[in-house]
Amino acid sequence: MSAVDLALFLTVIGSIVLFGGAAALALGWAFKSGQFENFQHGSQSIFGPDEPPGEPTDAFPGEPAPRP
Amino acid sequence: MPAPLTSEMLEANRARSAAERAAIDASCRGPVLAFAVSAVFWLLMGSVLALIASIKLHSPYFLTGSAELTFGRVRMAHLQAVGIGWASLATVAAALWQMCRLSRAELIYPKILYLACALWNVGTLLAVFGIIFGDGQSVEWLDAPRYAPPFFIAALGIVVAWVVAVFRRRREPHVYVTQWYILGAVFWFPWMYLVTVFMIFWAPATGVVQPIVNWWFGHNTLGLWFTPVAVGTAYYLIPKIIGRPIHSYYLSIIGFWALALFYSWAGMHHLIGGPIPGWLASASTVGSMMMLIPVLAVAINHHMTMRGHFHRLRYSPALRFTVFGAIAYTAVSVQGSFEALKDFSEVAHFTHYTVAHAHLGAYGFVTMIYFGLFYYMIPRLTGREWASPLLIRVHFWCAAVGITVYFVALSIGGWWQGRMMNNPDVPFGKIVTYLLPYLFTRSVAGVLLTVGHLAFAVSFIMNLAGWGKRRSGGPTFFVEPGG
Repeated sequence: MSAVDLALFLTVIGSIVLFGGAAALALGWAFKSGQFENFQHGSQSIFGPDEPPGEPTDAFPGEPAPRP
Repeated sequence: MPAPLTSEMLEANRARSAAERAAIDASCRGPVLAFAVSAVFWLLMGSVLALIASIKLHSPYFLTGSAELTFGRVRMAHLQAVGIGWASLATVAAALWQMCRLSRAELIYPKILYLACALWNVGTLLAVFGIIFGDGQSVEWLDAPRYAPPFFIAALGIVVAWVVAVFRRRREPHVYVTQWYILGAVFWFPWMYLVTVFMIFWAPATGVVQPIVNWWFGHNTLGLWFTPVAVGTAYYLIPKIIGRPIHSYYLSIIGFWALALFYSWAGMHHLIGGPIPGWLASASTVGSMMMLIPVLAVAINHHMTMRGHFHRLRYSPALRFTVFGAIAYTAVSVQGSFEALKDFSEVAHFTHYTVAHAHLGAYGFVTMIYFGLFYYMIPRLTGREWASPLLIRVHFWCAAVGITVYFVALSIGGWWQGRMMNNPDVPFGKIVTYLLPYLFTRSVAGVLLTVGHLAFAVSFIMNLAGWGKRRSGGPTFFVEPGG
């Protein structure tokens, strides 16, 4: 096996380990930090007091957004 | 039991939240606008190159006077302009802005990102003009000359570092599904790009390993770079615009992890029938079919979130583009899964059918969602409304009709092209002649798309020049920083 072949082999194997390992770590962290616990809260996290659920936030310029 | 909030307290909460959002938008305004402006510039460049390439396929004597404008070079330059230029720069703008907003964190040291933007643009310039002047590489998606990748790698390194830095400074403890998609994209793409450049250019692998790596990268550029950020953008924009949380948040998380698990298998279906190990193509076909899980998760979620709110498409330009893109995502992904089947590939492979499929993905899905994002994001960054509703309507209808005509014409023409190519009794010249009306229709669609892009660019320039009304009140409670 030449040096280039070895480098390529290590790249492929290293990538598989890195990719799989990173996914496993991310999943583990998400479970540990409670990311998968309260989905209701999670889905609401993009809203805030100034842009609450129930209020549309986009319209053609000069035209009012229809009320819900 | 806590005491109910008084109206004054509610108003104070609202003002505080609006001020925080405005401060976050202000912190990333400069870099995000720089990436967005460059993206639109490369979209226009890519459109011109695409038109030249398209016309040449049905009028072969068009612009034959120079080697620089031959089909091979112009088509490769188009791919770099729209792939590395438009779509990637828009991806970066989308990732930065949404990561700041969803993390509820300001962007730090924004000036470094101007350097990243400049490096990326220099890289794209070298890629596009290097190819036109004859330095292109014969590797699909990596056609850029060898002197361009260092610029992309440096720029990408800065962008990734800044996205991760914003995430680490987050004030919002919950990681929204869009953030998962963005984090996935900024982890996967640099890794893919480095491995591919290493294995194809720096320490070239021998034999069929090269096309295997090439198509692993080519397919995953769409699947693990553009797709996560575009799908994540739809997951942010649709609920935000209509003011309704995502239908099933649980399903959205399943969709992300299923994409992470299966998408990277799919690239080898581009080499079905080629000289690669049979198991590799079969595994890729299985991976492609498994992609139906995340795709259907996204499709069900977006549809159910929109249910009862489709009338809002009349009122919101951003929603119109985004929903078009989300529908195209379902269509192109389901089509792609079945296209990976070997029997299907026997006909569709190496024909214009694949070109139609690629454009439904890159344009109908990714580009349309980024248009939707720009229509939502830019006024919030510049503090100005879009100046002309007419230009937005022209843009939408040219883009929607253009990509539909493009897809239908090339799908029909490409399918019959494949059927005829499989029949040894049909002379090749007859197939070429048969395709002419379909290729001409593609050019007409290309003109429509380009007109739409011009309308978009004019709108964008007018907005940057401050021609639109200053945003105040209205559907979004927008507060100027310090105002």
